[in-house]
Amino acid sequence: MTEPGAAGVDLGRGLILPNPVGLASGTAGYGFELAQLIELDRLGALYTKGTTAAPREGNPPPRVAETGGGMLNSIGLQNPGVDVVARDYAPRWRDWTIRVIVNIAGGSLDEYVHCARVLEDVAEIAGLELNISCPNITGGLDFGRDPVAAGQLVAAVRAVTERCIIVKLSPNVTDIAAVARAVEEAGADAVSAVNTFIGRKIHRASGRSVLPLGTGGMSGPAIQPLALAAVAAVCDAVHVPVVGVGGIVDAASAKDFLTVGARAVQVGTATFVNPETALQVLDGLGV
Amino acid sequence: MTADLSKAALEKGEVLVVERVGGGILELVARLPHLAATAMPGQFAQLRCGTGTTPLLRRPFSVAWTHDDTCGFVFEAVGAGTGILSELQPGDPVDSLGPLGNGFTLVEHGPAVCVSGGLGCAPFPLLINELRRRGVEDIVVLNGARTAARLYPAERFGRPAVSVVAEATDDGTRGYHGSVAALLTPALDSTPSALYACGPNPMLGAVMRTLVESGADLPQVLEASLEAPMGCGFGTCLGCALPMLDDGGGSVWKLCCTDGPVMPMRGVDWVGLSELPGADVA
Repeated sequence: MTEPGAAGVDLGRGLILPNPVGLASGTAGYGFELAQLIELDRLGALYTKGTTAAPREGNPPPRVAETGGGMLNSIGLQNPGVDVVARDYAPRWRDWTIRVIVNIAGGSLDEYVHCARVLEDVAEIAGLELNISCPNITGGLDFGRDPVAAGQLVAAVRAVTERCIIVKLSPNVTDIAAVARAVEEAGADAVSAVNTFIGRKIHRASGRSVLPLGTGGMSGPAIQPLALAAVAAVCDAVHVPVVGVGGIVDAASAKDFLTVGARAVQVGTATFVNPETALQVLDGLGV
Repeated sequence: MTADLSKAALEKGEVLVVERVGGGILELVARLPHLAATAMPGQFAQLRCGTGTTPLLRRPFSVAWTHDDTCGFVFEAVGAGTGILSELQPGDPVDSLGPLGNGFTLVEHGPAVCVSGGLGCAPFPLLINELRRRGVEDIVVLNGARTAARLYPAERFGRPAVSVVAEATDDGTRGYHGSVAALLTPALDSTPSALYACGPNPMLGAVMRTLVESGADLPQVLEASLEAPMGCGFGTCLGCALPMLDDGGGSVWKLCCTDGPVMPMRGVDWVGLSELPGADVA
């Protein structure tokens, strides 16, 4: 762990990231693949794939579709379930210096609480990111759209964990600042913004949607200005640290988020194109 | 088995040539020393198409062959990404991430049957070269395509050329008139130790159906290289799901990129696969 007083980004409750650059949930799995490809431990944080109480098989394919300057995904939170993460995955993180923050998701308040409880005593985990904003499962967005429901969810998880809670906000709302304020008041230590934007792609030869559920979550460089506007609004609305995410492809696009007030950033889809992007962002920021 | 990514690396190489090998089939030859030294038959590389943000994602290509420090990739210019690749000039940079995925199980003795449909030819030259290096000389290629112009040239499957290349076209413009799967029955008479297949999902399904209906003992190694719309190529986006059978006969999603692209044909959920939209949909 980072020594008290050492340089780093303090997200609250003792979670101090060695540096502000992290890998966004859903783009880095649980770290095991990227650990073979890049110097993972140079980065500040790994936000894991969204993890649910029970295993989820995910959505039928096609699950990804390319768009101008971006992509849509409809993975459907495929994950092995929180018990496997706690029992089998966490021990493999023991020697890592990158902070592993487990992203938890669910369709009900009880599911989030269950996940937080299971993870509470797992020493290798540095914090929790509450995914209240996955657009690809039923229920996943309900918390993210309603400030009252979002606050209730955070309060319920707050009651069962001493860990740092980072709440990942949805951009698919009218007033993201209201949701940010609600989760701050309910006890969130930090917020991350934003998750993917709801998008749709049509297979023009057939007139059908490419993704089987019709819509998916859009990410990639095309969303960076949209994400930036949302993050600026969140930074103005809350006092807790904000982690900026959305369309970062290099240090310059990452620095935009720091400029509007974010304390840390997450690199997402750009990792698919170049697994070393987050390291390049880190080197470019000179932090 | 989840693919070993420890040899995968980003590599900036150089285009030597983009050659038209017949019909719309193109072959990109690039100097990529790391990939050439490490790629095993059936593995693939993720190539960037251009340097901008559209198209954003890399495109997966089987490593078709390697020679010294160069690699060959077979493709058609069908979309934005492959359109850019088709216009590359000698000396242009090429940006590769690889080798990725699992390769074919390599047998030590033949006969070996390679069933190719259209651009499914792509992994076979490297496979055939490696099988020969191991002393397997009894290799038969069954090569099918929609029409004669889209048949990968028979002599390119191996250097020296493979002696038996049977051809089939859907429209009858060359070789057998019909599916390449129909050429399987005589090939099975030799009780091959391995059968490797690559091509469109309907063709692969027809191959499996023909094998099962033939009543012959199935080859011990029976593998197909599959494809799916792919995001990352190294197992983190979970985009390239394919339906496979679990131990109880139910269907589970496996990843084309790290569980495959080479899959045991006995383990594919062929009904589930047949219900997926074509690979061109995304």
